[in-house]
Amino acid sequence: MNHVSEAGILLVMSAVSTSNESVSCRQRHDGVVVSNRNICREHFELTVRVLPGDKGGFGPTAPGQFIQIGCRPPAKVLDIDALSGDEFEITEGSWPNLKQPEMTQRLALLRRPFSLSGRWDDEQGTCIQIVQRVVGTGTQWLSELVEGDKVDLIGPLGNTFTLPADRKLGLMVGGGVGLPPMFYLANAMAKAGWDAVGFVGAMTSDLLAVTWADDKPQADGKPVKSVHEFAKHAFPAVVTTDDGSIGLQGRITDGLVRYIESLSDEQKQQAVIYTCGPHVMMHAVAKLAEQFGIPCQACLEQTMACGMGTCQSCIVKIEDNNNPHGTLESGRNWRYKLTCTDGPVFNSTDVIW
Amino acid sequence: MSQTIAPNDVSLAVDLAGLKLDNPMMTASGTCGYAYEYQDFVDLHTFGAFVTKSISVEVRKGNEAYRIVETRGGMMNAIGLANVGLDAFVKDKLPQLVSMRENGPRIVVNIAGHSITDYVTAAGTISQNISVDAIELNVSCPNVGDGLVFGTDPTMLKKVVAEVRAAMRDDCKLIVKLSPNVGDITKTAGAAVDGGTDILSMINTYTALAIDVNKRRPRIANGTGGLSGPAVRPLAVYLTSRVYREVAKAAGVPIIGMGGIQYWQDAAEFLIAGATGLAVGTALFVDPATPVNVMTGLKEYLAKQGVTDINDIIGTLKMPGDQGF
Ligand SMILES: Cc1cc2nc3c(=O)[nH]c(=O)nc-3n(C[C@H](O)[C@H](O)[C@H](O)COP(=O)(O)OP(=O)(O)OC[C@H]3O[C@@H](n4cnc5c(N)ncnc54)[C@H](O)[C@@H]3O)c2cc1C
Ligand SMILES: Cc1cc2nc3c(=O)[nH]c(=O)nc-3n(C[C@H](O)[C@H](O)[C@H](O)COP(=O)(O)O)c2cc1C
Ligand code: FES
Repeated sequence: MNHVSEAGILLVMSAVSTSNESVSCRQRHDGVVVSNRNICREHFELTVRVLPGDKGGFGPTAPGQFIQIGCRPPAKVLDIDALSGDEFEITEGSWPNLKQPEMTQRLALLRRPFSLSGRWDDEQGTCIQIVQRVVGTGTQWLSELVEGDKVDLIGPLGNTFTLPADRKLGLMVGGGVGLPPMFYLANAMAKAGWDAVGFVGAMTSDLLAVTWADDKPQADGKPVKSVHEFAKHAFPAVVTTDDGSIGLQGRITDGLVRYIESLSDEQKQQAVIYTCGPHVMMHAVAKLAEQFGIPCQACLEQTMACGMGTCQSCIVKIEDNNNPHGTLESGRNWRYKLTCTDGPVFNSTDVIW
Repeated sequence: MSQTIAPNDVSLAVDLAGLKLDNPMMTASGTCGYAYEYQDFVDLHTFGAFVTKSISVEVRKGNEAYRIVETRGGMMNAIGLANVGLDAFVKDKLPQLVSMRENGPRIVVNIAGHSITDYVTAAGTISQNISVDAIELNVSCPNVGDGLVFGTDPTMLKKVVAEVRAAMRDDCKLIVKLSPNVGDITKTAGAAVDGGTDILSMINTYTALAIDVNKRRPRIANGTGGLSGPAVRPLAVYLTSRVYREVAKAAGVPIIGMGGIQYWQDAAEFLIAGATGLAVGTALFVDPATPVNVMTGLKEYLAKQGVTDINDIIGTLKMPGDQGF
């Protein structure tokens, strides 16, 4: 049921896919920065040209998938190997020049995961895009990259959002750094001929990592073509801010409720909610989805060390009757699953929130 | 002018008490799962040996989230020994694991337990598979209160090692993995040797604490976690050197050194300190190809040092006070 379009977008028409469908193309790649654009306060849109890895070019990808980027100079650039030259020769009275970067600088050791916000292929290969917010050591390092800099990434990782064959209206609900995968999803929906609406929320206007289009976001929460990333596919958006500095004042769910209530029953049966963002926000969205009987796919976030399914650090509790790890008071059985390989996308009703 | 040696002429083959490896590079338990998860990212045939995640007799779901946190130059983990349990391991994972053995890495299964009976059951069962080259005893995982006692009490350790050794297939090697969280590591190393271990591996993680300064709570759910990565390397090299000089060398028991190996320089330190095998853990998350890069670097380094056989550099450290220092 999968098909790979020429743009390399994998559309999975079945239920939420398992990781196995696309794992074999996971690999390490070198990349070169094409651009690194400061979109708004603390947010950067990083575009990277991916060079072929040992197993060839960057594998097919779909919205929801992520990459693990080394947020430190790649070893070659760090010139660790220079140590094998004369520099490392210890003469009497001298001390080897031990360039252990993590000891002398504040450098991220582990890779950091970021959702794909876009991907395109041309004659020269693949470009991928992420949108990231500076919150610490690794994201600070990424924000300082300029055109031509080298990066080292592993991908594509994780499973994908899916577009069920019997529906065709996507409600994309992205809060904060949960927004980037929605940009990629919008692209896939346009290609699949779906209708879609973007729901975009942040604390305040200058933390909204979007490019504004012609229409002004409406204070009453009416969807208009205000966000370029959606408007370019002719999809409208509902913008909410906690402080009302732009769009509707309130939570992202306030905008979502208003919109769902405006739908006919028939339209509701066509709808699927896709969400990514802070845990509490996704939980609230999941509750709404359940209340209105609309299926909902949530792209979860968890601290990761490897991203490859080996370290067992990125666990989430997911409903599962097969070899359960525990049972809730309500009688639901659950298992720890890995966000990096079983997810990051799960059906919201399966998540033990 | 001394004759120049080409890096490709350097032999990296090592012999760990009869466990012969094409090269000293191994995976550190718990950082590569059961191998198949990892095979997309690196050719596992490049390793001298593959070491599995700790297996316990019973299924363990592991600790709550958050299980890891990065600290400067290292990471802390409290995974809680999450694993599929002995039965599922033997049925589902082991056949897949041993299938890569031909022309590939030697297979080492790491086991953890609550009691001597647990260790004996797991080691006895797993070593029946003739493709398992060695069993590594995790007596030092600091994350579950129960395992720690074997790793810190020499009397208990000797007893568990002796009983496990007796329960295993004869030509399957026993590795005892030492905890650094002890007052005098030569005591536990000595106990493991007295109990009859074939090989020592060291070190497991250092018990550590990272605090969320806003919440004034630990940054991982378990409270404390085990520190690994470049931050622990000098500590691990020191312990390796002590155990080599004070226990292992005289007893003829080889050491598998680990703790923060990321670059070939780190590996060279462990070799010089007395390690024969080298395991890489945390650095695999940073770059899955770390062992391959380390080997390339080691060959160049050994060639420059005028050494054609890696065994000639093992334990060559001279400390102040040593003859010829
Ligand atoms: C699947 C997935 C997809 C993701 N996609 C995106 C994306 O598209 N865009 C995006 O921007 N992010 C995304 N993230 C999140 C991103 O990975 C993190 O923001 C990133 O890893 C942070 O790295 P860092 O080194 O900058 O922060 P770190 O340095 O690791 O620190 C993180 C935070 O912890 C705080 N902290 C550190 N030490 C302490 C202490 N002792 N006490 C209290 N607080 C402390 C820091 O101040 C900081 O706010 C994603 C995560 C996952 C799992
Ligand atoms: C995420 C993680 C999980 C680990 N799990 C185990 C384990 O199950 N059993 C074990 O004996 N050691 C375990 N270890 C310890 C490593 O095998 C190794 O001893 C330690 O990390 C030091 O090596 P390093 O600095 O190269 O990581 C684990 C380490 C990490 C980082
Ligand atoms: S991040 Fe290591 S298993 Fe998911």
